[in-house]
Amino acid sequence: MTEPHLSSPPQRRGVSLPDLLVALGILLLGAGLLYGTSQIPFGINAVVGPRVFPLIVSIGTLLFGALLLVGALRGDRAEPGAEEDTDPDAPVSLANPAIILGGFLLGTLVLQPLGFVLGTAIMYFSVAYAFGERRYGLMAFVALVVALVTYLLFTRGLDLNLPAGILRGIL
Amino acid sequence: MDALTSLFAGFETALSPLNLLWALIGVTLGTLVGVLPGIGPALTVALLLPVTAKLPPVSAFIMFAGIYYGGMFGGSTTSILLNTPGESSSIITALEGNKMARRGRAAAALATAAIGSFIAGTIGTVLLTFFAPAIADIAVQIPPSAKFALIMLAFVTISATFGGSPLRGLVSLFFGLAIGLVGTDLQSGQSRFALGRPELLDGIDFITVVIGLFAIGETLYVASRYRKSQDVIKLEGGAAMNREDWRRSWKPWLRGTALGFPFGAIPAGGAEIPTFLSYTLEKKLSKHPEEFGKGAIEGVAGPEAANNASAAGVLVPLLTLGLPTSATAAILLAAFQQYGLQPGPLLFITNGDLVWGLIASLYIGNVMLLLLNLPLAPVWARLLLIPRPFLYAGILVFSTVGVYSLNNSVFDLVLLAIFGLIGYGMRRFDFPVTPAIIGVVLGPTAESFFRTAMQQSNGDASIFVRQPLTAFILLIVLVALVLPPILRMRARKTVAA
Repeated sequence: MTEPHLSSPPQRRGVSLPDLLVALGILLLGAGLLYGTSQIPFGINAVVGPRVFPLIVSIGTLLFGALLLVGALRGDRAEPGAEEDTDPDAPVSLANPAIILGGFLLGTLVLQPLGFVLGTAIMYFSVAYAFGERRYGLMAFVALVVALVTYLLFTRGLDLNLPAGILRGIL
Repeated sequence: MDALTSLFAGFETALSPLNLLWALIGVTLGTLVGVLPGIGPALTVALLLPVTAKLPPVSAFIMFAGIYYGGMFGGSTTSILLNTPGESSSIITALEGNKMARRGRAAAALATAAIGSFIAGTIGTVLLTFFAPAIADIAVQIPPSAKFALIMLAFVTISATFGGSPLRGLVSLFFGLAIGLVGTDLQSGQSRFALGRPELLDGIDFITVVIGLFAIGETLYVASRYRKSQDVIKLEGGAAMNREDWRRSWKPWLRGTALGFPFGAIPAGGAEIPTFLSYTLEKKLSKHPEEFGKGAIEGVAGPEAANNASAAGVLVPLLTLGLPTSATAAILLAAFQQYGLQPGPLLFITNGDLVWGLIASLYIGNVMLLLLNLPLAPVWARLLLIPRPFLYAGILVFSTVGVYSLNNSVFDLVLLAIFGLIGYGMRRFDFPVTPAIIGVVLGPTAESFFRTAMQQSNGDASIFVRQPLTAFILLIVLVALVLPPILRMRARKTVAA
């Protein structure tokens, strides 16, 4: 058995823009952390103040970001991870994750005014849609049942507090 | 035989009818959730945290013991019946076990995994029973500077030494450390990186980070490159082995256990290495080396035992030093902290009933898993047939409940979405998730030990080289950081030459 990363030499096929942007993003994070560190007031009477660790973390992030940038400029590129249910050769769709994220944020937005059941039902529906399901009636039905059962399980069974929203009084 | 007396007391706690019920629920839920594709053991424990929120600590940890082993077990069922592994420690099981299943030997593969897990888990728990109190006795005397050094060792081994790319592991670790900094500094009372949001003054809840990076990140990533056709192997009847299978399995089980436990117990980055080592060893020792890669039972029995023994080993540093060495252990640590408990040597003294109740339930959980899983294997196998659109949608809804119920806050759900997006990016750009998780959990602890050590030495940083144990551990840290890249470079030169 050989570990995949040890044996394969870095592939050089020119500079990859996404990898470059990731490295720049890490550098930006490091810079932001450094700025944030400078905004922390000094502690009084402390041997090690509240700034020391943030400073170390900022410098480390900047250093590793710089190393990633050098690597990206030399043509290193990251291999997308292999997970259960993924196909490395499948055409990559960015629309599907966007649909999930959009549905999630919409559900979050209506969670308190309309209630937990409708909010999570919207989330459920959007994920099922993004995974290619198109039987809309079935999807809406399952979404509502799952949301309702989850709601009852957690509020009645486990005594957690979830917003009832427009279904207040009915549930 | 102090350990034995305490263990009996632990069994008394764990064997009460109500706690037995919690253990059974834990084992069942752990297996159930662990079997689902896309959910590894770490996420299983994280998603089931809210279920235990209202329980008293002892019952909650008895349930966690069940969830922990159950989640591990569920993962191996998925690897055998579905052709792709969910996590690195199941690669071998997926490789060899899936080949066996393809040859119509799914029942035997599942059985050798179940019985091997039981044997490895039980031996591992016995070793834990006797090692943990002894280590805790020593650990009480370790000075803060050496504890800081131990955390550095965990950081380096988990992120850099054994991962694919040390640089990417370190980036992930520092991202986690940065997240851990957010909130009010406990020693000075100053707020750090709160961006003016009152919600951030208490810090970012660890569970939000875990569920975001694992569950939401995974859902987004799978949606972006989704495999439409699933290749699940049908299973008729329960898991069972014939005499020949037993004869070929028992030695690999024991050898796997011997490899797995020590690797779990030292901070060496989880179960991946011992499973690889066990596979290589079994291939060398086997009388049928030609079967390896085509579905050899030894290649499932050994690595599965190694995986489970290492899961028991991981509990040694977690319980005695408060040092998690895997993502799952980090979540258990966070669970302890939610109850206001700090795992470490003192826990054996202050909360002995809880620790020993937990250890006793590990024995009980193991027996339950075996009894449950041999006959119920076909039921678990059916879970793999849930249509993916409905499955991933359900995972997202459960994640939402888990995070929302922490503080009843919509702000947390926005954070969840952000961490989900970052989790997607980490999978897409090959950054390991575990170092980030460890960074979030251990970062604040590392800072506090660092400050205590510096206060005790009146600000003299040379404490880290003068204190012998600290200096020794830091030397190992340096070697663990520098040696692998050098070896890699030399290996590359040899290949080139």
